[in-house]
Amino acid sequence: MLSTRFFGGGIAAAILTLFALPAAAQSFRVQCPTSTPTHPTTVNADGSGIKCQQISGGDGFATMGDGTQTYLFGFGPLSGLSDMASGLPGTQVPSVFNQDNTSLGFDPIFIGAPVNQLDGTIVSDVFNGAIGLAPDPTLPATVADKIDGHVDPRLIMDVGVMNANEPAPLMAIDEDDEFFLTLTNVGQVMRPDLFEQHTVHFHGYPNASAFYDGVPDASIAINIGGSFTYYYLAPDAGTYFWHCHISPPEHLQMGMVGQIYVRPRQNRVAGDLGAALIAANKHAAVNPAATGLSCSDILCTGQTPAPVSAQGTGSSGVAGGGMYAYNDGDGSTRYDVEYPIQIHGFDPSFHFVGMTFNPESFTDMKDKYFLLNGRSYPDTVSPGAMTTQSSDGTLHASQPLPTIINIPANGRALLRISDLDVTEYQTLASLGVRMHVIGYNARLLRDLAGNDMTYFTNSITLAGGESLDVLLDATGLAAGQKFYLYTPNLDHLSNDAENFGGLMTEVNICSTVDPTTKACGI
Amino acid sequence: MRAMKTITLVRQLVRVTAVAAVALLGNAAQAAAPGITGTTFNLDASAAYITQPDGATLYSWGYGCTVATTSGLLPAGIAGANCPTMQLPGPTLIVHEGDVVTVNLTNNLPAQAGRTSILFPGFAVTATGGVTGLPGQLTNEAAASGGTVSYQFTATKPGTHSYYSGSQADLQVEMGLYGAIIVLPTSVPTGCTALGAIPAHYIDTAAGNTQEVDFRLAASAYDHGASCYDREYLFQFSEMDPLIHRAAEEIATCVVAAGVTCPTNMDTVATEPYHPGYYMINGRSMPDDMDPNYSVQYPHQPYNGNPHMHPGELTLLRIVGQGRWQHPFHEHGNHVRLLARDGNLLLAPDLAPGPTTPLAGPLLFTTTTTPGQTLDGIFQWTGKGLNWDVFGHRRNGATDVDAVCSPDVNGYNSVVAAPNYYEWCGDHGKALENKPFGAVGGGGPATLPDPNIVANGPWYSGSPYLGGEATGRAVGATPIPPSGTVANDPVGEAGFAYMWHSHNEREITTNNIFPGGMLMMMLVDPRAYQIDESK
Repeated sequence: MLSTRFFGGGIAAAILTLFALPAAAQSFRVQCPTSTPTHPTTVNADGSGIKCQQISGGDGFATMGDGTQTYLFGFGPLSGLSDMASGLPGTQVPSVFNQDNTSLGFDPIFIGAPVNQLDGTIVSDVFNGAIGLAPDPTLPATVADKIDGHVDPRLIMDVGVMNANEPAPLMAIDEDDEFFLTLTNVGQVMRPDLFEQHTVHFHGYPNASAFYDGVPDASIAINIGGSFTYYYLAPDAGTYFWHCHISPPEHLQMGMVGQIYVRPRQNRVAGDLGAALIAANKHAAVNPAATGLSCSDILCTGQTPAPVSAQGTGSSGVAGGGMYAYNDGDGSTRYDVEYPIQIHGFDPSFHFVGMTFNPESFTDMKDKYFLLNGRSYPDTVSPGAMTTQSSDGTLHASQPLPTIINIPANGRALLRISDLDVTEYQTLASLGVRMHVIGYNARLLRDLAGNDMTYFTNSITLAGGESLDVLLDATGLAAGQKFYLYTPNLDHLSNDAENFGGLMTEVNICSTVDPTTKACGI
Repeated sequence: MRAMKTITLVRQLVRVTAVAAVALLGNAAQAAAPGITGTTFNLDASAAYITQPDGATLYSWGYGCTVATTSGLLPAGIAGANCPTMQLPGPTLIVHEGDVVTVNLTNNLPAQAGRTSILFPGFAVTATGGVTGLPGQLTNEAAASGGTVSYQFTATKPGTHSYYSGSQADLQVEMGLYGAIIVLPTSVPTGCTALGAIPAHYIDTAAGNTQEVDFRLAASAYDHGASCYDREYLFQFSEMDPLIHRAAEEIATCVVAAGVTCPTNMDTVATEPYHPGYYMINGRSMPDDMDPNYSVQYPHQPYNGNPHMHPGELTLLRIVGQGRWQHPFHEHGNHVRLLARDGNLLLAPDLAPGPTTPLAGPLLFTTTTTPGQTLDGIFQWTGKGLNWDVFGHRRNGATDVDAVCSPDVNGYNSVVAAPNYYEWCGDHGKALENKPFGAVGGGGPATLPDPNIVANGPWYSGSPYLGGEATGRAVGATPIPPSGTVANDPVGEAGFAYMWHSHNEREITTNNIFPGGMLMMMLVDPRAYQIDESK
């Protein structure tokens, strides 16, 4: 630990300035300010706010569809543990994130949290704050609030070691939010020969900064024992994803892949959606003469062309109040319930080699497990978090996300589909309910004249590094009906040697669906 | 104690930095879309050995100029420009819209390769001479051992196009017989900077960047005002299976001797199962692709991939899929506005097409390459919306005379003479860091980590800020640590570096070695830094 108190005199202070060592440098640390110049009071009048999340970079195990335990390089949750175990994003507001762990008496924070090590059940409501936060002992007694980002490393290690999740923790923010993501590198205890750094690459972020882009060659990477907080203002609404950018063929194959989505400003609009979109476009264009009907630059930075229906009158006649995938201006991307669907593949040989200190082959890489949200069928339709016992005997909530698609009859589900496969293209088809592709690469499919470029199909094909948004419309369908999402890459309907499983899941039509828990009411 | 150690370290690092800066001179390569120009092209197909960064030499086939030449090349002024008799990819043919183009092909492949030919997808080709008569033949072919054939077409469509062998293509394309055609539009749409008139924002005279030269081939990609551009780069994606190349080499070099009979054709070369080991951009794997165009060490792989640009510059990406696989090409830093596929502009459907018809191409952060298909797109980086001043303008105390952002109607600094031209003024002066850092003021949202607990990349300039001036202001002349900053030194370039690469990530390897393959670094450079596309 290095603090300003090491530097007594003026000369030392000058050197500090010159060499720019941060005043409160330490190894593990989290950041979640309760106020910034952009958000002086945590939540602004427009509803946007400060959001925070902490993740571990390390290793762990997951359970494949045929029961095999597979070694991971992975990220795990170090905030929002309860939410994550319930299949929700681990992103938190400062008042939840900034909780003194010691006030909990350390009781709920334990090795393997949130899995009860005695019976393997998930402890409900264990804790959603940042793991490790403790009063900063270096603060003078006169400071009342000693929660300043200082953490107790023991708590971090207790929860973070061997706690890799597949996929990596889900993140969700709203447009205009400021997002503070702390990556804490707890090391890979199964591979003591490695001293792997990790990073977070926010894949697809427009106008990314090199510093926070996560490419180790172009920026900085986090050593074991260190934390780094990434800072971004939320980009334009859409489905993005994130992954480690250290040795990507290895770290991505080994599991360091996750999703982050950005909900649109339009969710906070009560009046006419078309008028609101045009006003937002004008604001983004700065130009007082801008019509707000289209974009002020070729990349539509911060803007979306107004729909044809609103081009003439300045309003679309559709009022807000729902949940939308994009700032569409006409409610066309409205949905009732949303599902992250993350396509991936594991090569068991590569994972075995990755656990056993041997050199890895990239040209021979061949996926044998085909994953939706880190699971193969039938695990994709198994409710709740899946647990896996690690080599140290502890149980971990290794794969928190089922992919059960429950849609209310006559309602719409938004599928946020991202693909981080390392080796090949994968196709996902819908049996029964046609897919309405509304967004591609985190952008609404609409041309610069406002024409609708969305399309209907029964299958989509993605490479690693692409995302796509699909609406499934259950209009005319009856509660109780069941449909399937599956891959027509038929060799991908397998779990290694088992000729059954793979990239497949179920779509249920329900009377009602809880938009938060996704629970199906028949 | 700690301070003493730091001073010693910094002294050492100053020396390292000086050495690195010297080593840098002449190394940075950032080149345009070079090729050969004219209306008649005399090409041959022949064999040569290409090299890969793992030390391998691969027997390959490629197109080249029948008579090697150093004339007729565009853009002018690229060091060492030449057209060899064999290169991979083949020479980029640069023509003008409406030109009647003639390509005379001579088959100088080994006799066992048999016939060869060229297909020009998207153009109505008239073939003359050569040989015909084989079932399934796609065009007239040049007979083995020196045969010739001639192709003629009118370059009706501007944009980027591909050409490749139509003869035993599963083998011949794999061996390297492919290339690109660039058709330049006839008009200069309203709003474009005319060719030869250097875009004013290339140059920041006050900071010493006074010599940039216009290396564009045209003012726009199409006869359309939204296709104006400031820089252009051509990327051809292909892969190679070394076993196929070895098998072809064995046949081509087979010597008849007692008890040895040689195959008379290449039919026994197995092109399946396909198991590529090399994934290339413009025929080179990383890091070779970031060496200059026409580097002497790659006599048969003349084209590089090392895009540079200043903030706000409209950069045209000409993307070509060659080979036989698709590759998801991920552009870090921003979306790409797709202009066209295979030279066909994507315009709004319900209006009469014209030079101002709204664009309809999607915004993509991953542009999938498809064999034979081309994509044209515009990339631009401004930093808009980051919510902090990437130039580090916010001063710690003193007033900064440069800290002026004069927004144009779209909110960007439109003062061409300013070093922060095209800064997004909405974020001007917004601090990133909570505490003051060097001469950059605090008050921002984020706290940066102790430099000692992170690892630094070779393209990391030493600060979060863009440019040597801002980096120097933030962390002094010797950033901690400058180790390995040979590629993007903090005193000179200090650009924002982004990785542009295939996102089927195993393709960023070279024959099982990471890093390699389809990977290159893109640099957004401060305007004080002179982007020299002559290399």
